[in-house]
Amino acid sequence: MSSHREAPEISKDPVADSTDVYAFVSPDKPDTVTLIANYIPLQGPAGGPNFYSFGDDVLYEIHIDNGGNGQDNITYAFHFQTKLRDPNTFLYNVGPILSLDSANWNSRQFYSVTRIQHGKSVLIGENLPCPPCNIGPLSTPNYANLANQAVHNIAGGIKVFAGQRAEGFYVDLGSIFDLANLRPFEELHAQYGMHVFSKPADGVNATAHLNVHSIAMQIPTWELLRPGAHGEKDAASVIGVWTTASRQQVTLWDDWRGENVNSGPFRQVSRLGNPLFNEVLIPLGSKDLWNSLPPTDDKRFASYVAHPELAGLLPALYPNVFPNLQKLVNAGTARADLEAILLTGIPAGIVPGFQNYTGPEQADMLRLNTAIKPSKKPNALGVIGGDLAGFPNGRRVFDDVVTIELRAIAGVTYHLVDKSYTPDGAAGVITDGLTAKSVPSGYLSHFPYLGVPYSGFDTPS
Amino acid sequence: MSSQSHPEPTAGPSRRSMLRGAGAAGAVGLAAAVGVGAASGVAAAATRPAADNRAAVGAERTADAAGAPLVVYLRDAASGELDIFSGTNHTVIRDQALVARLTNAVR
Repeated sequence: MSSHREAPEISKDPVADSTDVYAFVSPDKPDTVTLIANYIPLQGPAGGPNFYSFGDDVLYEIHIDNGGNGQDNITYAFHFQTKLRDPNTFLYNVGPILSLDSANWNSRQFYSVTRIQHGKSVLIGENLPCPPCNIGPLSTPNYANLANQAVHNIAGGIKVFAGQRAEGFYVDLGSIFDLANLRPFEELHAQYGMHVFSKPADGVNATAHLNVHSIAMQIPTWELLRPGAHGEKDAASVIGVWTTASRQQVTLWDDWRGENVNSGPFRQVSRLGNPLFNEVLIPLGSKDLWNSLPPTDDKRFASYVAHPELAGLLPALYPNVFPNLQKLVNAGTARADLEAILLTGIPAGIVPGFQNYTGPEQADMLRLNTAIKPSKKPNALGVIGGDLAGFPNGRRVFDDVVTIELRAIAGVTYHLVDKSYTPDGAAGVITDGLTAKSVPSGYLSHFPYLGVPYSGFDTPS
Repeated sequence: MSSQSHPEPTAGPSRRSMLRGAGAAGAVGLAAAVGVGAASGVAAAATRPAADNRAAVGAERTADAAGAPLVVYLRDAASGELDIFSGTNHTVIRDQALVARLTNAVR
């Protein structure tokens, strides 16, 4: 998955598990940037009576580097607090929830937003209500309207939303995790001699009908840039974005209170910038460590980007399909294309008319050139599809990051840094067989852009 | 080209290493409903500095650790070092006598 359950420790701690990060110039408000950090993966919409909520004991943060050194110049921190109207009922709600202050809604959650810059914290929003989860037609009628009430305007001209959304990330987990099978090409898979597949098949979106929890912000672009940023060619127009979740160091079950007691400083337990970075590139024994470190430590992991394990697996699992990639892997060639895409940004002169280079510091961040306008005809394949407003120039909610990264690892982008290299024909067509249309909820054309969450009543379990 | 070596963990206890360590031989974890002042007679106290934005936010949440539950973690009795957690603070002290009393108490 993008980063859902991607590391051993965080897979046991869903409320702190970051799943996706998005950063894009808002298509309907291009003087702003939208940042979205998703948490709590793979929510079954009917998961009551304790429906999903953010962790009151988790510190959620969205970080922005506008100095090109992998360090956060601006941080937005979110703290949540759950309030029960009546602790003497087991019910989430005791009647229809028609508004965020509904007396029928028992288990409500509120949050604060703090902006941190130059070590100074400024509270820019507090006591902001989250929407309820989408339960069904009796409990949450007209859910879209209810969720709209949870879009808040806070200090700094910022729009913010925190609550449940439909999962917008699409991926065929069932096949990919079955030894890197890709249904559209499964007859080409070596199949370990078992001859299970004889013809191509359509992809299956494993995240369809599942929800996540989103923290979304729409921020005036100038607030995110260092002074003087001007134009697409200016390095100062590029920001790096990532999210983290932190917990206090000590958690102790207090059996007298009947609850956990937390103590000590907050320490990072989850991190996410580029999709699939920790999931696909970092080896199992280092994933938890990677989650605990800042992007400035990513140079320690750069060899896993330069020599991705999956690049070696593809020729082995799909014999005679990737001969040129096989030669590249056998030669031990460092993948400068992947290092640029994921660790430094793409310098000017590689892709005509484009750069999102932040400098030589190797750090996993989602890099967005904020001066590149939203595309009028977006292509979900982003930059490799000729759409400079899409991944890896930031990431939009509908971008097909699985296909983009599969193709990049398969070698389709290597010729950008070595003109003598000819990508395999398969590298340009490899896919898990899904598109943005594989997301049943669709997407919104306005903030917070991710679709209305699936309701428990309507969604097959 | 980048280093091929596996990164080593950074110094200082993480939440996970602590949870893992709690089950290890020789580790003692204690929780006490007393204020920080209870440890004030212990010598060689050193508080880790607030290094980044996260620490700033944490400090804001529980600026007053006095009266908050206090947790003592003894990772390695031989070192004589005790990690003390209260509120959002983490203090390291060195006290061989206290370590001896604690380890005796759990025998």
